[in-house]
Amino acid sequence: MTDSPATNGEDIPLEIHDLTAGYYKKPVLWGIDLQVPKGKLVGIVGPNGAGKSTLIKAIMGLVPPSSGWVKIFGKPYQENRRRVGYVPQRESVDWDFPVTVMDVVMMGRYGHIGWFKRPKKADREIARDCLDKVKMLPFAKRQISNLSGGQQQRVFLARALAQESDIYFMDEPFAGVDAATETAIIALLHELREKGKTLLVVHHDLPTARNYFDQLLLLNMRVVAYGETEEVFTYELLQKTYGGRLTILSEVADAVGQRAK
Amino acid sequence: MNDFIPAFEWQRVMVEPWAENLSTTFWIVLMGFLITAACGLIGNYLILRRMALVGDAISHSVLPGLAIAFLLSHSLNTVPMFIGALGAGIVTTVMIELIHKKTRVKQDSAIGITFSTLFAIGVILISFGQTDAVDLDTECVLYGEIAFVPLDLVKTELGPGMLSVVEKIPGLNSELFLDGNMLTIAPPSVIRMAVVTGVTLLLILVFYKELLVTSFDSGLSSSLGINATVVHYALMGMLSVIIVSAFEAVGAILVIAMLILPGATSSLLAYRLPTMFGITVVHALLSAVGGIHLATWLNCSPAGAMVVAGSALFALAWIFSPSQGLLLRWFGRELDKLDEEEIERLVKGT
Amino acid sequence: MVALLAFVPESAWAAKIGDVAEETSLGQQAARFFSFRDPSVRYAVIGSVLLGISCGLLGCFIVVRKMALVGDTLSHAVLPGVALGFLFSGVSVSGLFDWSFDVDNITKNPALIFAGAVIAGVAGTLLVTTLKQTTKIKEDSALGLTLASFFAVGICLLTMIQDLPTGNKSGIDKFMFGQAAAIGKGDIQLMLGVTMLIVAVVFVFYKELLVTSFDAGFARSIALPSEWVHHGLMLLVAFAVVIALQAVGVVLVSAMLITPAAAAYLLTDRMHRMLFLAVGFGVASGVIGAFISFLKPNIPTGPCMVLGASAVFAVAFFGGPRHGVLTRWWRHVSRSKRVQRENTLKAVYQVLENRAAQPEDSVSLKELAERRRETLDEVSGQAQALKQHRLVTLHEEGNKILFTPGGWQLACTIVRNHRLWELYLTNAANIAADHVHDDAEKIEHILGDDVVRELERMLDDTTRDPHGRAIPGFADIHKPFAPSASGPSGYGRSS
Repeated sequence: MTDSPATNGEDIPLEIHDLTAGYYKKPVLWGIDLQVPKGKLVGIVGPNGAGKSTLIKAIMGLVPPSSGWVKIFGKPYQENRRRVGYVPQRESVDWDFPVTVMDVVMMGRYGHIGWFKRPKKADREIARDCLDKVKMLPFAKRQISNLSGGQQQRVFLARALAQESDIYFMDEPFAGVDAATETAIIALLHELREKGKTLLVVHHDLPTARNYFDQLLLLNMRVVAYGETEEVFTYELLQKTYGGRLTILSEVADAVGQRAK
Repeated sequence: MNDFIPAFEWQRVMVEPWAENLSTTFWIVLMGFLITAACGLIGNYLILRRMALVGDAISHSVLPGLAIAFLLSHSLNTVPMFIGALGAGIVTTVMIELIHKKTRVKQDSAIGITFSTLFAIGVILISFGQTDAVDLDTECVLYGEIAFVPLDLVKTELGPGMLSVVEKIPGLNSELFLDGNMLTIAPPSVIRMAVVTGVTLLLILVFYKELLVTSFDSGLSSSLGINATVVHYALMGMLSVIIVSAFEAVGAILVIAMLILPGATSSLLAYRLPTMFGITVVHALLSAVGGIHLATWLNCSPAGAMVVAGSALFALAWIFSPSQGLLLRWFGRELDKLDEEEIERLVKGT
Repeated sequence: MVALLAFVPESAWAAKIGDVAEETSLGQQAARFFSFRDPSVRYAVIGSVLLGISCGLLGCFIVVRKMALVGDTLSHAVLPGVALGFLFSGVSVSGLFDWSFDVDNITKNPALIFAGAVIAGVAGTLLVTTLKQTTKIKEDSALGLTLASFFAVGICLLTMIQDLPTGNKSGIDKFMFGQAAAIGKGDIQLMLGVTMLIVAVVFVFYKELLVTSFDAGFARSIALPSEWVHHGLMLLVAFAVVIALQAVGVVLVSAMLITPAAAAYLLTDRMHRMLFLAVGFGVASGVIGAFISFLKPNIPTGPCMVLGASAVFAVAFFGGPRHGVLTRWWRHVSRSKRVQRENTLKAVYQVLENRAAQPEDSVSLKELAERRRETLDEVSGQAQALKQHRLVTLHEEGNKILFTPGGWQLACTIVRNHRLWELYLTNAANIAADHVHDDAEKIEHILGDDVVRELERMLDDTTRDPHGRAIPGFADIHKPFAPSASGPSGYGRSS
């Protein structure tokens, strides 16, 4: 952990201002404003196509923003990317890839190891600890294609742990996992939060969202509401989030996309 | 068919190449091994990145780069050749991107259009220059002239002192290297290929982490600060250099096999990248040696025969692979051999 | 066409300069070629036309099914079949088990080569399918692997045949890069039969091919055997590839499948038009290639045909009416100019609005420059552009700007779009009022009438934008020069 003196930015792990972003110039997110305080477990919920994954990708610079800015601990993402951990959707990688579970977790250490160097013993220790935390240590030498969905997700979590970041973005970590893994993951998320980490988790299941998260971000192409779970989890706001897309907004987004072609 | 397929004479096919034609055989096998090893190493990454057909495209489209370099410099020297190949590699990559990003034409068609256009230009250029191009003709384009590799040897004269030292070194004191006081170093194309293979191996070792993570998960690589685009173009550049160094010996099309066969074979046999690299190198060696014997037996193109030998090795791996083998499939896995986790996996349907 | 003629070798020109004048030499050659006096020219041209038709037709399905590289693999994989076809011409069968092989009898027998090549091509595609099904090897690797392995076997056989005493005379080397002049009468008969078959099958099974290409899942749900359609198509593609081999060659024949069809794909959205266009392009590039290699026989025909097809593709790529790169660039430029004009108009409107002035009042260049934060020169140029489009008139040596009725209407529309959009973003999408301006700056130029009408329905009765400014309404737009003294009347009052 690299603890710099507490500045203003240090208290705000994530700040987004007027972010409009999308694919091929077609906006998927409009005018996003967000300030997430430290040590919170935030669920991002919204209907399909609401731009949940896009938001995470835009924060991490994987989708170019057409306006607005993002700051991580008061600095642009590029300067602070070491402090960001990322858990992509499980389907985003090729699980036939010839690596073992240990190799994947070790990738989380690459940011700390740097160019031209090999992993040291300390890195290996950390990777083992992380695997142990998700109860996957016995599988360390196994090839990743021989894992169940829940096990794959645990490996991804262990990799994120190995990154030793201060803020984590997770894209649907609960998708397609068994109940045991889901409980294990949520326990791990709570543990991380207790250590002062900030976690933003894309979640697709509304009923459990209420119990899992401290705060909720209701998203549907724009921020519908953001706040403490009990305040935001209301009939009106959920109705507003899930009550169909804003047709005009999508139509206009299509028109912008068409023009860019 | 007796006139067509010569009889298999043990002495002629298996012994003579090493006994009587050692100097030819050795250099051809070495060249074949170096090419297949370099291609196979980088080919592993092409396969993992689902870019095998981009390798196909670049191997075709290196030709105009080579032809232009040849027409301008009137030689097949290393520097103009590498420049031409790098240029062609970059043009190919950019053209494919342009066509499929700027229009509705999909990537597969974009690849097909790009390499056929560039290859056609190359063939026409070579046909024009055919009169003065001794080393570069349309047959060489197709299957190379690996048999000509040993014709051009770099030799150096040794002083009496050195001579006595060299004569004591086992291996070096054979007639393969020593002819009177002339020490044979190697054919220039073999030296070049050896350097290229060495550099490839070195780069793969040094940038192992970066190559691994960009190939496996580009999202993670960007969050680690590794620029996947830079890695991609570096890989394409390296690929162009390897292909052009191999070009004279094996031509534009057989090189595709050398890119894909070793990696495909090792992916059937291993589940870790370092092991795959090991198998790749073994595959390269076996196909080079097997190829030379096949070519001697059938009296056909050695480069083609090396690929056929490599394909045979692949077929063996396909049949006997412990995880994906055809034998396993044909005779079925017995259920009591499944361990618990595998049953769990089956039940969950993943 | 002109671009292609540039490829006519200089040496070919030079050789003719000696005996005849330069222009007549090419002219005479062309006359000789297109008069079809020589039977070899006749065969070459007919062959090119036939291969253009069959490759163009099937290429369309290859391109829309994203199987371009399957076509490429298939076309490389036929090589060992071609070689075996040659070899079997030397086999004479005198009884069931009484075969004899005579090296001296090897000839070019089109039917045998056709059979051998089709078998090899189909075997190649089956190998790809099996590899994908039984191993974890991905499609691209399976394709590349099959392509190169089959090709290597072909090369081995080829070099063995060339070592035979009759090998060099057999003309097998012409199969690598193609030589249209080597097409004989037997080839033409075969090509004609196969092309007719392909045309007939595509005509009869057009519906089935279309629906399986577009949505294989749906095709299966209506009980269409899409797998069989796929295999049938691959067989036809193998036919087309094999009849094109003699003219185009093994290495480049896939381009005759892909490139004309891809060019057609850029020009039309309808499948049947695409088929006709692709056939046209295929025939044109085929004949051009044959002509060029007629002019200079030591240039193989295949590359010439392929470059012809590439030139057609390049024209479609740059100049296509809807998807062309240059066309789109031009559209982009004219759109930016329009946006620029509209922004200037809006600025004139805003100057008037801030002064609470009448639409008939004039705005000075200086005011406009201040409003747009630009220099007088820049603003003056923009004013000239507005004048050219009759949106304003200029007075006092161009220093005063006055709306024309059309200009006033357009200005009202733009301002109205802008403010409606801001309102929509704040009201319906609850985005903060200080964020909506930038979006609206872009969106105001592209809002269509129907979207505006929807916005009006949603936001009815609203007359002020989030910043408290009046939204110009229909009354302002349609009764241009009679606004109330307090500035434009609000929207809402007009309906």
